[in-house]
Amino acid sequence: MVREILTLKGESDGSSTSGDFPLYSDLIYHDTSAPWTPPTRILIPYGLKAKIWAKRIAAQGATTFTIYWSKDATAMSPAWEAIDVEVLSSAGELALEKRRPIVIRSLTGKEGFKVSWSQSTASKAYVELEVEFTDEE
Amino acid sequence: MREVDELGLVPEGGYLTIFIPATGNAFVFRVKSRVNRGFERIHYGPLPLPAGLMLPSYVGGAIPVPVAGVMPGTTYIPSELAISFPFRGVFSETDMWYIPKDWRERLFHVITEVTPKWLRIDVQIPKGVTQGRFQRDQVSTGVDKPFGFARGRIELIHFPEIHYGYRFGNDTNLNVYTGVDFTYAEYIIEVPKSPDLIFDILTRRIPSKWITMPITIYNDTIKRAFLETYGIEGFPLYREDQRSEAVSAYSSILMEVMV
Repeated sequence: MVREILTLKGESDGSSTSGDFPLYSDLIYHDTSAPWTPPTRILIPYGLKAKIWAKRIAAQGATTFTIYWSKDATAMSPAWEAIDVEVLSSAGELALEKRRPIVIRSLTGKEGFKVSWSQSTASKAYVELEVEFTDEE
Repeated sequence: MREVDELGLVPEGGYLTIFIPATGNAFVFRVKSRVNRGFERIHYGPLPLPAGLMLPSYVGGAIPVPVAGVMPGTTYIPSELAISFPFRGVFSETDMWYIPKDWRERLFHVITEVTPKWLRIDVQIPKGVTQGRFQRDQVSTGVDKPFGFARGRIELIHFPEIHYGYRFGNDTNLNVYTGVDFTYAEYIIEVPKSPDLIFDILTRRIPSKWITMPITIYNDTIKRAFLETYGIEGFPLYREDQRSEAVSAYSSILMEVMV
C-alpha cells in the first residue's frame, strides 16, 4: 500500500492576470535556476492516483482558481482539461475540506495536473492543496 | 504465540522461514534472542546520493543529483550504481547490513521504508545482480521497467557474506528530498534440530513468519555464502503426505548445519 500526502503551496506573481502556480512543498527541492525551478505541473506516479483532499485559496482581488488535468502532462504543450473551479468574487479566503476527494488517475504514467489563476486585475493569489498519492481506491 | 509482533518482527522463541524461489528451498530459524528489542527504528536520513551523481532518466538522457540526498524527477538508480547504506564504525562501513560468515548466529531482518512513499524500490542480491524476472528469463524487471518493483517499502532478510544493492526510481517530475527509515531486528538464531519440527513448519502446521526473498538468480556468491555460513542451502519443501521422506532428508541436512 502506497500513501504519501503532500501539502502543495502556490503563490501568484501579483503582476500577471493569469498563470500557473509554481508549487512548493517540504519534499520538493527547488532552486532559482532551471531545471530546478518549482514545478507548475505535477506528474502522477505510474499506476497511482492523486487525491486532492483539501484546498485553501486566498486572494487580494477577484480570482478564479482552476485545477486542470492532462492525459499527457509530459508533452511540451499538454492538452489541459478543467476538473475543478473555485471563484473568489472579491478579496478573501476560502478553505475547503473534502469528504470525497478530487481523484486523478495515472493510467499511462503521463497523467498530471496543474493549478491556475485567472483575474481581471492582477493581484496576489495563494493556493494550498493537500494531495495524496496512493494506490488505494 | 503470534508469528510476529506489532512491528512485523519475530519475537523471541518464534520461528522465521526464509524461502528462496530460485532453489525451492527454505531456511528455518528459531529466534533465540532479539538484541535490539525496544530499539527497532533507525532514522537513517537521506538516500546516500552524492551531489553531482548522474542518474538516467525515464524520458532519456541523464540528470545530476542537485544536492546530496535529493532524487531528481524522472530518474532512477541504474544497476551499476545500486546503493548500500554506509554507516560509520560498522563491520563494513560502506554497507551497514553486511556481516561476515563467522557471525552466523546473527541475522538482520530489515524493513526499509523510503520517503516519499511513491519511490520505486528493488534490490540486487548480491550487489550487481538484478533479480527481477518475468516468464523465466524472458524479461528483466525492476525500477527501470514498468513493473517488478515495490513502492516505498521493502522487507528483506540480510544474509551474512552477501552485499545487497538497493535501487530506487522516481517516476514523478518532482525533485524530491528523500528519507530512509529502517525497522529492523538483530536476531540471534539457530536452526531447529528436530526434522519433524522443520517438516511441521514447512507444511505450515506450526506458525512461522515466512519471508520470500527476491532471489530468482542463484549465483555462486549466494550459494557460497549459504554453504560457508550455514553449511546448507536450505531445506526442500515436501507435501504433507511425504513426512517420512522429508524427515529422512532433513535429518541428513541437519548433520551439516553450522548454526
